[in-house]
Amino acid sequence: MRPLAGRVLIAAAVLVLTGCGSSDSSGSSAAKLSVESAYMPQPVTDSMAAGYLVIKNTGGTADELTSVTSDLAQDVTVHETTGQSMREAAALKVPAGGELVLASGGNHLMFENLKRKPKEGETVSLRLNFTTSKAVTVEMPVKSATYQPTSGH
Amino acid sequence: MRTNTKTTTKRTTRTKAYAAGALLVATVLTLSACGTGDDSTTSVAEVSDTGPRKAATVLDRPFTKPDLVLTDTQGKSYDLREETKGKPTLIYFGYTNCPDICPLTMNNIAVAKKEVSKKLSQSELANLRLVFVTTDPERDTPAELGKWLKGIDPEIVGLTGDFDEIQAGARALGISIAPPTKDANGKTISEHGTQVIAFSPKTDGGYVLYGEAATVQDYEKDLPKLLKGQNP
Repeated sequence: MRPLAGRVLIAAAVLVLTGCGSSDSSGSSAAKLSVESAYMPQPVTDSMAAGYLVIKNTGGTADELTSVTSDLAQDVTVHETTGQSMREAAALKVPAGGELVLASGGNHLMFENLKRKPKEGETVSLRLNFTTSKAVTVEMPVKSATYQPTSGH
Repeated sequence: MRTNTKTTTKRTTRTKAYAAGALLVATVLTLSACGTGDDSTTSVAEVSDTGPRKAATVLDRPFTKPDLVLTDTQGKSYDLREETKGKPTLIYFGYTNCPDICPLTMNNIAVAKKEVSKKLSQSELANLRLVFVTTDPERDTPAELGKWLKGIDPEIVGLTGDFDEIQAGARALGISIAPPTKDANGKTISEHGTQVIAFSPKTDGGYVLYGEAATVQDYEKDLPKLLKGQNP
């Protein structure tokens, strides 16, 4: 019994380590940003659309998403969902060694008064502006109205 | 495990064996729960089918259909109870100036309906009523609602009217909605409901809830049952 228990304990410990370990970058290197999983569900009308993306920061300093511009609309704002309502957010933090997630049901980009109604298969150009980092340009693909990203691990 | 001494009775032996067995099983379960699927005998499909994530919540005590008389997208009076009596009905409270959850929810249901219509006969789907009630009646006029719903599924019934009446109707279904307010820039901030409620054609009771995470596939799977008033 005892040797078996010992082996199991080791196995469990290994699993915990591999499962939950997250390597945090430390130090005071500058923010290093990249954007992934960007998409826009095909909007219902040309009056508004939502956009989602994940901004990763592999650097050692936090940054903030301050504004967004796009070829699709004059008016692009970052909205945060609080409970059942959505309101315009001030700058959103991209933590050091972390990410800022704009996802359905949470924070999202809101495009208003669209210049055209984007269709599935097209792309929308975005420019994300940050407090310290250089602006990041994103080509956001337009997906179906019911598209839901599979949460990859 | 140690072998029994001669004095140990048969009964104790068995108990010990059981205990050891149970311990082993428990350990294995714990391991597979947090392990990364190295257990080749368990199929992935099985796990996701019996997993904790189920879109539908069947209520022990169904909601009574609210007594709402509102205005449809044609500008005509629409008596919810009368119009949907004996018909499978799905109701959602939202607003058209909502970029995120409201269009996703209505599109999920509309696409699911379209998928189901490929498998069922027209007559089986004919009674289905999809109802969208605005939580922002000031901006969502019948015309605005009509324009928006046309982009999703023109068969969806869009209702607008007096906010207080809509709020009371939502409250009767356990959905709380605050009246729209203006932010510092004068932009209107509205609230949408958090769930879709399905009403049975047999009892007219609101007996199944769907949260925001419900997908096209969830609705597609459940609609044939909802059409008959069965539990999904």
